Amino acid sequence: MPRRLLQPLDITLRHGRRNQLVRRLFLGFSVLLTFGLPLLHLRAVSVEGAGLAADSPWARLIGWLPVVEVPFVGAPTSIALFGIELVDPLMWLGVAVHRGVSWPMVWTLLPGLVLVVLLGRFFCGWACPYLPILAASNAARWFLSRLGVPLKDVKVPRVTARVAMVGVVLLSALAGTQLLPLLYPPAIIGREVFRALFFGSLGAGALVVGGAFLFDTFVSRAGFCRSLCPGGAMFSTLGALSPLRVHRDIPKCTDCTVCDVVCNLGQLPMTDKLDGGCERCGKCIASCPTQALSWKLGTPSALRKPREKPGT
Amino acid sequence: MNRRGLIGAVAAAISLAVVPKRARANPKKIRPPGALPPGQFEQACIGCFRCAEVCPTACIRFPGTFSLDQATPILELSDRACVLCMKCTQVCPTDALLPIAADAQVIAKEVRMGVPVLNRPKCLPWNGTGVCRLCYQVCPYPDKAVELVGPQKAPLFHADACVGCGLCEEACPDQASAIVIEPIGTEPPKPEPLRRGPGGQLRRGPR
Repeated sequence: MPRRLLQPLDITLRHGRRNQLVRRLFLGFSVLLTFGLPLLHLRAVSVEGAGLAADSPWARLIGWLPVVEVPFVGAPTSIALFGIELVDPLMWLGVAVHRGVSWPMVWTLLPGLVLVVLLGRFFCGWACPYLPILAASNAARWFLSRLGVPLKDVKVPRVTARVAMVGVVLLSALAGTQLLPLLYPPAIIGREVFRALFFGSLGAGALVVGGAFLFDTFVSRAGFCRSLCPGGAMFSTLGALSPLRVHRDIPKCTDCTVCDVVCNLGQLPMTDKLDGGCERCGKCIASCPTQALSWKLGTPSALRKPREKPGT
Repeated sequence: MNRRGLIGAVAAAISLAVVPKRARANPKKIRPPGALPPGQFEQACIGCFRCAEVCPTACIRFPGTFSLDQATPILELSDRACVLCMKCTQVCPTDALLPIAADAQVIAKEVRMGVPVLNRPKCLPWNGTGVCRLCYQVCPYPDKAVELVGPQKAPLFHADACVGCGLCEEACPDQASAIVIEPIGTEPPKPEPLRRGPGGQLRRGPR
């Protein structure tokens, strides 16, 4: 009988709990926005439109919510927070290819771009509304492996996501329409949550997210995020410029592989092989039994030697 | 050419072959007010659904089916009409909907969501089966976009003054459903003028 594949849930997060708490609170805020903004808007327009918007079963359930001028508006991929436009750079690129670049457009890109260049692929680990679904997929994998079900973990080459990223932009240009909102989980989840709350129904996008969940559960652990997601590829590309990296204190390291196992995105902190694909979630740091890993500002991975980067 | 380049080239070639021609064309739809012309709108819209979130009548929808415009807003005016509040135009982050002031004069000038097409045999005053002026009463531009003509007070629509809000379509009695706002560019062509053919008979169409 082959040995059971070690699952991330098998690994205890020993320390750095504060880091993980902050990350979970941030993610909670993101999920709260994803569900809460449409609900607050639904409440507001139900009153403003004299009940015209109240077809949805949710409109009746949220009668107790206050009617407020909703301060924020938008989807996970494009949101106006405190008057600052945060837009997904790949979404922005898709529009720029068609419509050209104007100064107002540059200003909308800037805040998001600055965050990505400073913090790398943090969106994937801290804010993406697909994360709860990925956590469910990892939990399902853990449960199935406990039951003795053999699980596949196909390592799809990570370059596939870059091909998808370039392909989506090129095909959008050819198709004369934006394709990213149809394939990109955060965009789909935002739209489907909105549709479910406003109109009480789910659309075809839910099947794409469901497919990603099944792929992650039965074919490849976090495989969609790691190797297929076009947005993830964009964050990895830009994230290679980020100076924030996981540093290994070599004398303390016992080569136990825990950090390599706990990483969803195929980074290898145990051998210092990290690239832009690191989502800065800090789980490797939290799980290290000997506290050999820590955050450090250093050379961006784009400027490091290729042999210091993970493979597929 | 290295392996990565080869994979990319093959993927691009396959996807080009897979996207059908029909999907590349832009099917015409009724879009929210201030929308860029068909074709340009689909290029600029990123499906962030801000327009639909602020719509007080929830008339802005997203098709739930597998289609390329799944993520772009459409109006189903027979179900729910637009009340011309122009809020959606103010929140669009990519200017797929251009900002328009909530002012009747400005709206009349700037907004063209669709074209009114009246099916006269179904319209109660036109087919002589009843008295009805619902469309006239709900129209935000009465006597300009729709006027009542003849002894039956039958509606006559003027596409050049109509913004296409669909209030008339929503108000038109269900058994009639005579007035429909058609997307721009899909309205039926005006009949060709009558011509005298070579044999002297009257007919429509080119010579």
